[in-house]
Amino acid sequence: MKTIEWGFLIVNYLFLGGLSAGLFFVSALATFLYEHGQPSPYTRIARLGAFLAPWPVMIGCGLLIFDLGRWYRFYKLFLHLRIVSPMSIGSWLLVLFNLVVLLNCYAWLTEEQRNSLFAKLPRALAFVSNFNCDIDHWRRGLAMIGIPISVGVGIYTGVLLGAVQSRPFWNTNLVAQLFLFSALSTGCAALILGLARSGESAQELRLLYGLDICFMVLEFFIVLPYIIHGELSVQAVQDSLRLILGGPFTILFWVFFLGLGLLVPLLVEVRELVPVLVSNHEFRYRRGLASGTAVLILGGGFLLRYIFVLAGQMSVFK
Amino acid sequence: MSAHQKRYALVIDSKKCINCKACVVACRAENSVPLEYSRNWMNEETRGVWPNLMAASHPEQCHQCAHPACVRVCPTAASYQRADGIVVVNQEDCVGCRYCMIACPYNARFFRQDKGVVEKCDFCLHRVERGQLPACVETCPSKVRVFGDLNDPNSKLAELLSQREYRSKKPEAGTGPQIYYLI
Repeated sequence: MKTIEWGFLIVNYLFLGGLSAGLFFVSALATFLYEHGQPSPYTRIARLGAFLAPWPVMIGCGLLIFDLGRWYRFYKLFLHLRIVSPMSIGSWLLVLFNLVVLLNCYAWLTEEQRNSLFAKLPRALAFVSNFNCDIDHWRRGLAMIGIPISVGVGIYTGVLLGAVQSRPFWNTNLVAQLFLFSALSTGCAALILGLARSGESAQELRLLYGLDICFMVLEFFIVLPYIIHGELSVQAVQDSLRLILGGPFTILFWVFFLGLGLLVPLLVEVRELVPVLVSNHEFRYRRGLASGTAVLILGGGFLLRYIFVLAGQMSVFK
Repeated sequence: MSAHQKRYALVIDSKKCINCKACVVACRAENSVPLEYSRNWMNEETRGVWPNLMAASHPEQCHQCAHPACVRVCPTAASYQRADGIVVVNQEDCVGCRYCMIACPYNARFFRQDKGVVEKCDFCLHRVERGQLPACVETCPSKVRVFGDLNDPNSKLAELLSQREYRSKKPEAGTGPQIYYLI
């Protein structure tokens, strides 16, 4: 009998890693959306994304290490680089990503924030204050370097599963794309949640809604061929799809992920944004609705990982 | 005699199996496998309706695949394949991520909670290196298992595979399993 080897810790890691990738990606895009030398209308997106991005992935990495049978041996992952192992590539990507997001977070601190941060250091660590320097001018460079790395982190979580040829539920390249766009969408949602609370972010939310709609539409049009292609594939793949088509994950997949976690927020955001684009009116949003929609997207992103991690391990060649 | 590269494999003649499970016990004793785990196991099959019944037992263990998915996905190269085809886990390098267990189409690996590492059948490598047979092969009272070198045309194993029809399990998984079940 097959046991479930990857459980709640891995589900959470996949979600948190994707969330950070999405946060950084959107923040980096916002960094570029202004003319050089001009103040950016999207600075708040870039700054909030830069401040939020490091923490989910760092918590996720902690969960990943804690999930190992011998957590204290995690360093062995960095004694090898095996390009045929998605986990090996992913480990290195995570190191790079963590470095970039932390540097980027630091680069977006204001001078007062930096001074206040370094002032809190205990006396024994006073020498760290020597690193209190202004790296504002690194922001665009870090965004440029970080975008491909964040896309790599977003994709790799799907490749990790998709590369397993013995699990028919996973073994398609669509899983990697699905996880990537879900990651970008959850990143957008987290930023919407953060900015909608202030009530004065119409311009920022307009951009985030636009991006989020793109990501969710792409996600939806990956879910569709995933199911259609699976149904037209070999028997083992068809059987594995029964897990979401009449099996234990059916309601979770169709009602809670696809319905409440993807289509409902997509429709809400389209309903809010499209009339504004068509009529060229000023974009206004309702804080409660924007926050609720973002929470649904985040929940959908988590459920996607939950369903795929568990259902994939239950699918086998018979 | 010219030296040639060995390729170890296992032939199983399920028709001879009496399901005594001596192979499972011998493996457990030889490799100090705790009771809650098993490196080899029996698949019991029954078909038909009384009185027209058929019952069969198919022993199984790691298939020492030609293209092992477990080796490919291992991030630390703790799982590796020797030149003679035997797939081994180096316990010093295993971090216990269990990716190999998920990648194995045969569920032939298990996670030792007490040691935090993954284990599997390695054809009793320590015995094979001494020129002995794997414990399960040696102990089998009805000679269900034939262990040998696929590249040696004079081996009993090669002889059986040239004279009898056989099948392998889940060839569609694409890993090139090296346990051959005689039909």
